[in-house]
Amino acid sequence: MKVAFLVNDLALSGGMGVVVQHASRLSQLPDWDVTLVLVRDAEGPSWHGYEHLPHLHVRDRDHARQEHYDIAIATWWETTFTLFELSAERYAYFIQSIEDRFYLHDEAERLGAGLTLDLPVSFITEAGWIRETLSLLRPDASCHLVRNGIEKDVFAPLEHAPVNADGPLRVLVEGSPHSWFKHVREAINAASAMREPHHVTVVCTDREALGEVVADEVVGPISHREMADLYAQTDVVLKLSSVEGMFGPPLEGFHRGATCVVTPVTGHEEYIEHGWNGLITDWDDLRGTARQLDLLARDRELLQFLRTNALETARAWPSWQQSSQFMAGALEAILREPSPGGAAGARGLLADLRGGIEIYNGHLVERAGYARRAMRFERRIARIRATPPMRFAQSLRRYRVVQLALRPLRPLARRLRRMLS
Amino acid sequence: MSDWQERITHETAPAIRVEHDLRYLSAAPLILSGGPWADLGCGNGVAAASALGEERPKDIVLVDLEESAATAAAAELGVAEADRIAGDLTDPALLERIGGLLVAAPGDPVITCFEVVEHLSTFLPLLEWALPLAAEHRATFVLSVPNDAFWATQNPHHLSSWGIGAFEELTQLLPPERTMLRQIALNGSALLDWDAAPLTQTIEARLDAQRAVASHFLVAFGPSHELLARGARALQADAEQDRRLERERESYRVQLREALAQQDQTIAKQTEELRAQTAEFEKWRVYIHELEAELGRKPSGSDAAAGGADPA
Repeated sequence: MKVAFLVNDLALSGGMGVVVQHASRLSQLPDWDVTLVLVRDAEGPSWHGYEHLPHLHVRDRDHARQEHYDIAIATWWETTFTLFELSAERYAYFIQSIEDRFYLHDEAERLGAGLTLDLPVSFITEAGWIRETLSLLRPDASCHLVRNGIEKDVFAPLEHAPVNADGPLRVLVEGSPHSWFKHVREAINAASAMREPHHVTVVCTDREALGEVVADEVVGPISHREMADLYAQTDVVLKLSSVEGMFGPPLEGFHRGATCVVTPVTGHEEYIEHGWNGLITDWDDLRGTARQLDLLARDRELLQFLRTNALETARAWPSWQQSSQFMAGALEAILREPSPGGAAGARGLLADLRGGIEIYNGHLVERAGYARRAMRFERRIARIRATPPMRFAQSLRRYRVVQLALRPLRPLARRLRRMLS
Repeated sequence: MSDWQERITHETAPAIRVEHDLRYLSAAPLILSGGPWADLGCGNGVAAASALGEERPKDIVLVDLEESAATAAAAELGVAEADRIAGDLTDPALLERIGGLLVAAPGDPVITCFEVVEHLSTFLPLLEWALPLAAEHRATFVLSVPNDAFWATQNPHHLSSWGIGAFEELTQLLPPERTMLRQIALNGSALLDWDAAPLTQTIEARLDAQRAVASHFLVAFGPSHELLARGARALQADAEQDRRLERERESYRVQLREALAQQDQTIAKQTEELRAQTAEFEKWRVYIHELEAELGRKPSGSDAAAGGADPA
């Protein structure tokens, strides 16, 4: 089986990590050959650490175009632009989130990301909620669920959940402050609003972007092993995200004996059960979240109960090795399935495109309205400028004395111009 | 301490034996439908023999990692002529050999594979072998996996983890024509005549499908998948053994509680002693400091005294 995963770059991120996990493990199966195809010009970190895998390659787009693959797989909406440039028996799309949600309403990428879901491809996804969404959007397309595994050698399940009988409640907040939908600062604020004794650790790859926050400890960037150690010293993983794919961090915490307090974000339903292995808090309710943390700080029996069940949940979760077996099975199934015709998804694509055009039209009409209003002001100003007193006043500007007299007013004029522009 | 019963014997606890019996019982209509039968991971054959009663298929292939287990299964089932194969089910050559035996025999093959997948380092070869066998040779497969989320501790013999999600992922790789069952645990009780001889009694089980938490998941696929039987089975509990374990646990708990209470008392007593001694020492300290003041010395224990400064 010759497989190509299309990736934007090799920069380490959660999504890229998932692709690399699958690619490296698939490449170790007998008769499998896996290529990571870089759809952008190589930049940033180079490819290290997988040289020992002879059947895992990294190729640029030009090289990949000369090959023929059994399956070519897009892994991010922008990589679909290159997908059909490759020669392959089947085309698939590995979706780790409904990616248009990463963009705000007025960002052009939102439409682009949404449109790629209408392509004539087979889908593979990592979360049940994404599969359900896709089955509604694309009932004609096959969709295989391959949930992410866990690095069980790194996030090794503890034998027993550690006991924190009377120490401060140890809360861990994790996430990128660059992603608005992770709500990292809100989580830190909620933890700092606790009344009971607590210790808040923030794990963050970019401390500068985090800015000033109230936390006992800010660490990062750290390795997976260090993260696993940190989870083992944590009572509660606090996540208030509003967009998640498979929602991995609390599950990693579960493996190390931590429970969680989370928003009902997509992905939580895969393994988090309120009052059994974690607590689910409401959207935008920082006070309520702080009270839930206080409850865990006060009721150590409840804390231990949740942590014990969290660890049990973790034990039933597949490893990456097992997950990649499901991925291999899914790819073999896609190869057996008939290829979706070129028209598959075309109706949806055009409907979405039409919707996008209407939104774009709306924006243009709005813009034209603003322009008309601006023009009305411009015309009045032009009329005023054309009057003899104004023309006379303007003619005075060529005199140096007048220029010097007006100099103190320049900042005010600049500000006025900025306001009107 | 958990007792991991990876081989079912006559001495296995009834709660575990009955689970295995029931799985074979559900597959019995398929096994006895006339074609060859392969039991992958056959173990000692105790559960299969119990479920099949006196009937046996004509062509049987018994497969286990250990040859001794396959031989024991043949003896337990009373099928000396059965093919016995020892090997690893991740080995494609071994699977081809099993397939060859099944295809050569008359009738539609039936393959049972209970509680095996979780012991394999990879299930892909088994899957790659099973799908064409089902499609091209009318083979019907029945397999089961445990629900690891149901059990309280990690089974050290399992190489992969299974829950409802993983099972769902597995079944989506199987043909859409399939039967899926959940196996759930029961609690029961029976009334016997005072002087009753051994007997089989019919019981009624009330099942709440909505609230049922599965201990195992079963799936059958292939042309005869619909023959997979539903049902319930109960075995007499080993009350003697259960009572012994329960009493041991209870006595251990009492011991621990007592030990904890004694420790609490000791800690309370020592805390009180410490408090009294601290108060006593405080009085001494005050007295010593008064004496030191009269002598014109720095009070001992102070920073200046610790630094060795000469008060003179």
